[in-house]
Amino acid sequence: GLVSLCWLNPTGKSECPALVESSFTTCLLLPLENSSSFLSRTSFYNNCWFFPSMYCLSFVLFLIVFFFSDNQIRFVKSALWYHGYGRPELYRLPSDGSAGSRELLLAFSWLLHRLSLLEQLLARNRVKTGDETSVCTCEDDLPNSQTGTTERAPEYGLEDRVDVRYLQWLNGRLRFQWRSLHAQHQEQCKLLHKIHLFTSGSHMDQTLGHFSVTETDLVRQPENYKQLLQLLEFETMQLEAFLEWKQLELVYWQWMVMNQTDFEGIFSQKSTRLFPLPFFFPLQVKTREEELQKEGFSATARKIEESVELKLLNLTHLCAPKKPQLHGSCRLVYRSKHPASKMAVSATEVIRELQMREASLERELKQLQEECRQRLDEIAEGLDGVICISP
Amino acid sequence: PHAACGLRPAVRAGRRWGVTGRPVGRRVADGAGPCRVAAALAAALGEGAERRRELEQRTARSRALLRCWGSEEDEQSQPEAGSSSGHENRPSPKELEELELLNRALEKALKVRKSILKSPLEAQGATGEKSAGEGPTPKNAEEQQVPVPVEDVPENTKVRAVSKKPASLKKPSPYQLRAPYRTDPDVKKLQRKAPARCVSQGSRTAGKSSSKGVACKQGRSHRTVICASDREVPAPAEPQKIPGLSRSALNEQQSFSVGDSAGGKNSVAAGKRLSDGGRKNCGFLGESSKKEDPTTEGALGRSTSPRTVTLQEKGCQLKLPLPYRKAYSRNSRAWERCRLCQTSADAAAARNRFIERIQTTFCSTMLAFSPAEIEKELKVLQDVPSLLSQYVEAEPADHPTLEREYESLLTLEGLQTTVSQCLHKLQLLRTAMESQMRLRPDCAGDIGSCSPACVPPRGQMCDSAGILAVPLLCYSSFQELRDLFALKLQVSMLHQEIALQKVMMAELLPVLESRLYPEASAAQLYRAIYTQLCEGGKRFPVLVRDELVD
Repeated sequence: GLVSLCWLNPTGKSECPALVESSFTTCLLLPLENSSSFLSRTSFYNNCWFFPSMYCLSFVLFLIVFFFSDNQIRFVKSALWYHGYGRPELYRLPSDGSAGSRELLLAFSWLLHRLSLLEQLLARNRVKTGDETSVCTCEDDLPNSQTGTTERAPEYGLEDRVDVRYLQWLNGRLRFQWRSLHAQHQEQCKLLHKIHLFTSGSHMDQTLGHFSVTETDLVRQPENYKQLLQLLEFETMQLEAFLEWKQLELVYWQWMVMNQTDFEGIFSQKSTRLFPLPFFFPLQVKTREEELQKEGFSATARKIEESVELKLLNLTHLCAPKKPQLHGSCRLVYRSKHPASKMAVSATEVIRELQMREASLERELKQLQEECRQRLDEIAEGLDGVICISP
Repeated sequence: PHAACGLRPAVRAGRRWGVTGRPVGRRVADGAGPCRVAAALAAALGEGAERRRELEQRTARSRALLRCWGSEEDEQSQPEAGSSSGHENRPSPKELEELELLNRALEKALKVRKSILKSPLEAQGATGEKSAGEGPTPKNAEEQQVPVPVEDVPENTKVRAVSKKPASLKKPSPYQLRAPYRTDPDVKKLQRKAPARCVSQGSRTAGKSSSKGVACKQGRSHRTVICASDREVPAPAEPQKIPGLSRSALNEQQSFSVGDSAGGKNSVAAGKRLSDGGRKNCGFLGESSKKEDPTTEGALGRSTSPRTVTLQEKGCQLKLPLPYRKAYSRNSRAWERCRLCQTSADAAAARNRFIERIQTTFCSTMLAFSPAEIEKELKVLQDVPSLLSQYVEAEPADHPTLEREYESLLTLEGLQTTVSQCLHKLQLLRTAMESQMRLRPDCAGDIGSCSPACVPPRGQMCDSAGILAVPLLCYSSFQELRDLFALKLQVSMLHQEIALQKVMMAELLPVLESRLYPEASAAQLYRAIYTQLCEGGKRFPVLVRDELVD
């Protein structure tokens, strides 16, 4: 019953008849100083959290209040640690969830601000009506997706020995698979581009200009896409709820500040944040400079300095990126002219970043191969009567 | 005679373990390691198959949209035999049968070769084989082998012609040893008919396995036969091309395993090179399908009856259905309002007060970089070392002029500055990480599960307007789109390769170093592992038996 309270619903009304029907103002009038008043808190939650999202942390955070699961509590703690929450009281909470609703509330509010939680939730769960592609390679970096840590034993047999040719065969098949994937992708690009071209000018949204595959299919077979429409409408409701929240934000934060008044030792620790400082080292090519100036090359020297700066621009930009890195998935849009759009990401940028990534990965691979070569050379010396000539 | 001596041990070895038709021998005594490699490879194959399936679904949908809309969906797209058969992690019994047949053929071929080698043509044969020997394939070596297999094409146009191979074996062999590098004008014509991809596929396979002599050539001709028949398949309309492609993929795949195991390790290399030829191949395949496409598209448009419609004709006049339009415009207006909506000043003040006060209760150590920030910074610095090395290597050692030298010095100075900045930052990150790890609570799972993919940037950096903006990725040309996807795939592939390389290094090198394998197969094992680890499975080193008596 209590869980239904926390099951965030857009209309903000309590569905549990057992609880007092509360509007926002009644909530305020309840003795909020008694912050351990469970009911008041939950009914407050009821009015504020309009987003039935499945984002792990926030959902679990609430669930913990009602369902005490050891794993969930540990997960919440490590996730908060990951994002830099430093309040030791939270980490000292017992894992059976028997205490600590206020700590959780504090942690939640902190996270709300720190991660722009609501905005992120909305952005991440955006209904996809277009041809979405990811612009980053983050999924590749996840360790689990790489090596087969799930030890699925090959059907080769229970004997503990593997023929090296089997490995070679598997490897060959893998390489072939990548080739076919490549061909398939190129095919898909061609089809996508065609659809974009042919439907140019049809979309009512001028910034898009053309239909996506989904939308074209929608025209062809509207009956298949009823769910999409529902999702769109639901999202609109969520957005409206978000706007309502923005109106109420002031009250929430004021309430949170009130919640803090009985901290122990609030102002005991003064903390300083370590901000990464920019470093500037003076150029120290004094002797050369002097030499050049002696020979009257000072103007040339300046030109050279500028060209060097330009040359290294790529590197400096990489080390201290001025704009945040691109993430997430974006809708592919074909624009043959180049309207200067600040919001849109251009494929050229993404390609450039990918090329850098590719070069860096290739380098890494070559280094690994070189290391292997050296070790194998050593081993070769140990083999009797065989000389190895590398290709 | 000594020219071929390096090849004999390999040949002998090939015979030894190729006979039974079942992959045997060269077992690695310590199996724990390689099992993990096999598991990793199998997992990678599974993921790849998953990707292909998804992609195929999307492609099928797009294809359906580009066809005429009026007609019913009677197009039976052939099941992706290529991808489904790819699920087995062992060679199928059929493949093993073929392997056995080819091994027998190999033995016959070796006998034939021995007898031929004794004849005066020995010298020519030796040169032919030497020039087409292992090592980075020179272009002419490839061309040498091409005329030979293509000769077989008119005779064996059937793909499943394995059983015929031994019979036709005798016929091509005299031709080969005569003048393999002379291009026959007839053969050239045939080459031109088959699109370049067939030739390049055939030629690339030719490169490595020539030391195996006739048998491999026969194996290669098997592959080029497939190419020729493959070529015929894509001729009709575009929608059928794709099943054709998958069929040819299936055939190629099977022929790999056939050819792979035939001559043993050399043919394995050949098989790999075939798939390796591929990047350009597949690009070409994509292009050839692109080329043929305007004709099929036009044909479609022309041949359809007046009441059916294609996207090409009517695309720009289409309108989305009204309910969707309404929902969409309401939705986008709501997004816009949310994006423009700001936190009121009072609310922001209250919020900041709360945050300040709560942060005063934090442990001081937690106020350095948070683990999320550390990860983010590391990601930023990820590509720096590679770029740095690139710059450093680009600087020449000598400088002709004073200006050059000055420029070079300045560059190096700039690089040094960058390096020290990065190192300093790394140091900060390291100390932060250490202190964070000390405070780390018990984690239920591994820490990776706490950091979702694409950890978003901190709230301050990316203002909420940015987060809620419409995410669009604009491309300006077809080529750009293709490059984008090709690069994404390439990056994923490299990631996987690096991960696999690390696993293989950890598991296979100790096997060699610990000498726990049967001594007889030392050379073959070494060679296989060398190829796998140092050449990405693409090229083979030459192992020469040190038989010269000092």
